[in-house]
Amino acid sequence: MTEHAGRDTWQQDRTAIAGIGATDFSKASGRSTLTLATQASLAALRDAGIDPRQVDGIVRCDMDTVRPVALADSLGVDNITYWGDTGPGGSGPAAMIGQAAAAIQAGLASTVVVFRAINGRSGERYGKGYADDGRAGGGSTFEEFFLPYGMQTPGQYFAAVAQRHMIEHGTSSEALGRIALACRRHANNNPAAQMHHRTMSMEDYLDSRMLSTPLRLFDFCLETDGACAVVVTSAERARDLAQPPVLVRSVAQSSGRDAQPGMMFPALLRPTTTSWSSRSVADVLFARAGLSAADVDVAQIYDCFTITALIQLEDYGFCEPGGAGDFIQDGTLQVGGALPINTSGGHLSEGYIHGMNHVLEGVRQIRGTSTNQVPDARVSLVTSAPPPGGSALLLVAA
Amino acid sequence: MNARMNTPETARVLPVTDDPDSGPFFEAAARGELVIRFCGRCERPLHLPKAFCPDCHEDAGEWRPVRGTGRVHSWTTVEHQVHPGHPTPYTVVIVELDDHPEVRLLGSLPGRADVHAEMAMEVWFEDVDDGADGGVVLPQWRPTTTRKDDA
Repeated sequence: MTEHAGRDTWQQDRTAIAGIGATDFSKASGRSTLTLATQASLAALRDAGIDPRQVDGIVRCDMDTVRPVALADSLGVDNITYWGDTGPGGSGPAAMIGQAAAAIQAGLASTVVVFRAINGRSGERYGKGYADDGRAGGGSTFEEFFLPYGMQTPGQYFAAVAQRHMIEHGTSSEALGRIALACRRHANNNPAAQMHHRTMSMEDYLDSRMLSTPLRLFDFCLETDGACAVVVTSAERARDLAQPPVLVRSVAQSSGRDAQPGMMFPALLRPTTTSWSSRSVADVLFARAGLSAADVDVAQIYDCFTITALIQLEDYGFCEPGGAGDFIQDGTLQVGGALPINTSGGHLSEGYIHGMNHVLEGVRQIRGTSTNQVPDARVSLVTSAPPPGGSALLLVAA
Repeated sequence: MNARMNTPETARVLPVTDDPDSGPFFEAAARGELVIRFCGRCERPLHLPKAFCPDCHEDAGEWRPVRGTGRVHSWTTVEHQVHPGHPTPYTVVIVELDDHPEVRLLGSLPGRADVHAEMAMEVWFEDVDDGADGGVVLPQWRPTTTRKDDA
């Protein structure tokens, strides 16, 4: 790859997240994804103090069922002059903010709503996997090399990755468990989290049902119904709006080399299975920001599974490659520890809005309004899932 | 990800075998041969199979037979039932070829198979008759039963 692409051309702190909004998170919303998207977007606009008619750009995740123009219609905007989407899937949210920032800096739009709406529990459940009743694969999916062998769900893929991490580095189940515990502890303080009232001990974690070795039930995130949205605008304009602006210090999406085709399973054929595109995302992100992992005060790490977060701790440089098992001790990842992560509860215990709830919580930490506030948080990291590609965001105060 | 609903059928999931990129892999399996695509110019494996070599940027690929021995890279024993055609528990193995360790292929073993890292594996060819269109042959992997030298 081009080393630190955009290091000299990326402009720090030119755009801001001016508003955030979310619906409730549940197992059965009883609403359409369009309704959920509208609700979250209106909440974000209200938060920013912006009239919905002024929205002129919309960015969505490529797997969303709501299309940008449909949301524009539902919001009653006068005219959108920019729309786009990116992904794949959970690799999207930070990159979606990047797209909005790029559109604003290029003069294509001035007020961009970025959203993700999903009926992930009552509707299409991603945990059900990829197999249907026809022949599997073909059409550049390469699923024909995986599905017939019983490698069919994200959980099974991440289980094989976790197994390999254990082989290479002696990583323990307890290290994975401490990630789940940190998320749960934070969710217990967050009334919006689905696991708000459910406490968990290491014993509970280890006793939870094995789904695909070595991953247990509590290594898996919560399939969720809900939506999250943010409003992105210029830093200059954000200063006059309702909330203290939260500046986009840097944003990056990156594939790295040898990413492999397809969606997720082909990443088992990368030169290494235990490091992802998140490593090259980190290189680009920190170079553009002029910051390093040591500068990060709080991080929302994409956690579709515990192992997903564990590997990113290494890829983003919070510990040595292979060192996450030693790095993650009791309390390390909780508020007061060396690196508080997923302070709203994350996908594991707040809800799975496909990485978008992580963006909202990253903003709250800079505003100082999290239910698990990290004192004096100045640099807030948000990551969006690898594999096959990834993206991330560094937020700072104005 | 393109999540789709399962059907209540109990048939196993079988691969598309006539895809322009991957079809020859399954055609060879039907002949009892394990083949991998290589760049005819720089000799690098092009797996998962692709037409153009990412290093040479040329469409010079060719399918070549490879030795059907490898080692376990990783595995997972699936306990949670998802697809009705794949009853749990079963164990998915990811195998690195001995002669081309950058190439990994999957296999499936019944039950909670006793596998470990670097365990020697050998290919075998599973004829799956789906009753509809003549069946499919899948290259599969099992713990090595013959000496490596004989393979």
